[in-house]
Amino acid sequence: MNNHYILSIVVRGKGISMGYEEMFPPIDKKWHSNANKRFASSFVDKQHDRIDVDSIILSNACVVCGYTIRDFYTKPDLGIACVAWASEMYDLLPVTHWFFSLPWINELGSTMQYKETLPPISTGPVISEPEEVDTKINVPDKETIKNGWSTKQFMTAYDYVAKNLPETLVPISYGFDLVGAAADLVGVENFIMWTFTEPEAAHKLVRKYVDTSILGAEVMADKFGSAMLTVGSVLANNDIFDDNAVEEYSVKSMYYYVSNCFKRGAGPQVFYHLCGNHQTDYTRFKENLLWSPFTVMHIGYSGRNAFPAAVLKETFQDKATVMVSVDTKLLIDPDPSKVYNNSRDQLLAGRDAKKGCILGTCCECPMYTIPGQMRALVKAARDFGTYGTW
Amino acid sequence: MQVTIPGDVKELVAKRGLKESDIVDVVNTAEKEKKYLKKGNDALAKKRIGDIMVYVMCDLSGKGTAVVKTAYSHKMNLGKVVNLMSESEWKTADGKPVSDGHIEVEYMTVRRNAPALVVPETGDAFLEEYLAVKTIAAAEGLFEKKRA
Repeated sequence: MNNHYILSIVVRGKGISMGYEEMFPPIDKKWHSNANKRFASSFVDKQHDRIDVDSIILSNACVVCGYTIRDFYTKPDLGIACVAWASEMYDLLPVTHWFFSLPWINELGSTMQYKETLPPISTGPVISEPEEVDTKINVPDKETIKNGWSTKQFMTAYDYVAKNLPETLVPISYGFDLVGAAADLVGVENFIMWTFTEPEAAHKLVRKYVDTSILGAEVMADKFGSAMLTVGSVLANNDIFDDNAVEEYSVKSMYYYVSNCFKRGAGPQVFYHLCGNHQTDYTRFKENLLWSPFTVMHIGYSGRNAFPAAVLKETFQDKATVMVSVDTKLLIDPDPSKVYNNSRDQLLAGRDAKKGCILGTCCECPMYTIPGQMRALVKAARDFGTYGTW
Repeated sequence: MQVTIPGDVKELVAKRGLKESDIVDVVNTAEKEKKYLKKGNDALAKKRIGDIMVYVMCDLSGKGTAVVKTAYSHKMNLGKVVNLMSESEWKTADGKPVSDGHIEVEYMTVRRNAPALVVPETGDAFLEEYLAVKTIAAAEGLFEKKRA
């Protein structure tokens, strides 16, 4: 029985967080140096190697390293170590990340539970009546956020990286899905109903969630000196809301979030993640978001298809680096040519975006992403995204 | 214009590597050219001095006196207006509206966007303190290291 296996048993069986760094060989510095220059390409106008690939790898990193989806979320330090290892293995980004979709709701009263195949979710709504937004949902103070459950998860991950993988450290704070997470506090169906019947309460609930998330970013920035912001519009998409509602609830909240995070020292990097169907509402984001010198715009879908790279480029290339997408379901389809061809088409349409282009997936790559399909994604970036070849 | 710099502000601007003489210059130039922004009794002036853009915010409530509240700088060059958003609380010295918006910024040959206060009539732009000393300062650092 080798040491790796013994340590794996300890980690899996007892949930003991120790010595993950001993399980992974040291980072390949030659690879990392090249990947670092490549990653910077999009932002500093110094083209290097090829267009980068960000498959938004999360729990799949644990799966390909022999652990479970649950391990990724219950052990953020193990999770982020696996992200680093998988990123080198697949030649993805030189920076690490770890997150889940519902940060900060625990600090607003939700009870979180771990699942075998899901990120942590709440056990259920904490309020049901509009007046309870005032009486039961209270934005915590900064100290409470600092010592709270969500911060502990993020700090576990980023402290590990700072200590063991410092060259991959980009501290990130997540507002993530500002509307969706707020909706979770009352139940998604109720929230959607409130947007019609109780818009004042719905707006107030979202604002309280956003204010809480801003404190989270401030705590991260206090510790690390800066903090990239990842903020999205996931529940607020065209399958659920019309364009006006997306703008009112989501776009304005994203602007408020980023603006106030900047005031508290977070940024300058911003990753806008529009998951779900943004067939027509995407136009509302263009003139109403905050654009920093380091901003990436990512849109998942238009209807049921990957959002067209040509439209993404045309609309946002004057504002930000664009991240074009390949449909995530192709990554679990046992036909790598589908990933390759979809990647090629999106790259050909988006690779010459004025402020740079990244090849991504429409959303997090599936937990059981097929390694061969990940290879097809990266191969397409090499074949159709190498600078100097077009 | 009599320019007064309180002791605590002197400490702050020294930490930020700014000279008191430059601060006085920024205020006097803005007063002479009538090119500054106003919000209540506060005035925000800027001037390019060497390689940096220096900003000074003053309290103008005392007649003929500008009491400096803060001063800051950035290295990025300010470029063309990218977009105008809602009207801000600031006005020009002659009372015209000032918008929140975005401008192009240029640093080390890289052009990107940044939020700014923009005078729609002239396209003149000002970066607020929090942006200059936090967001833009961090961005300048990343550009200098050629990393993201």
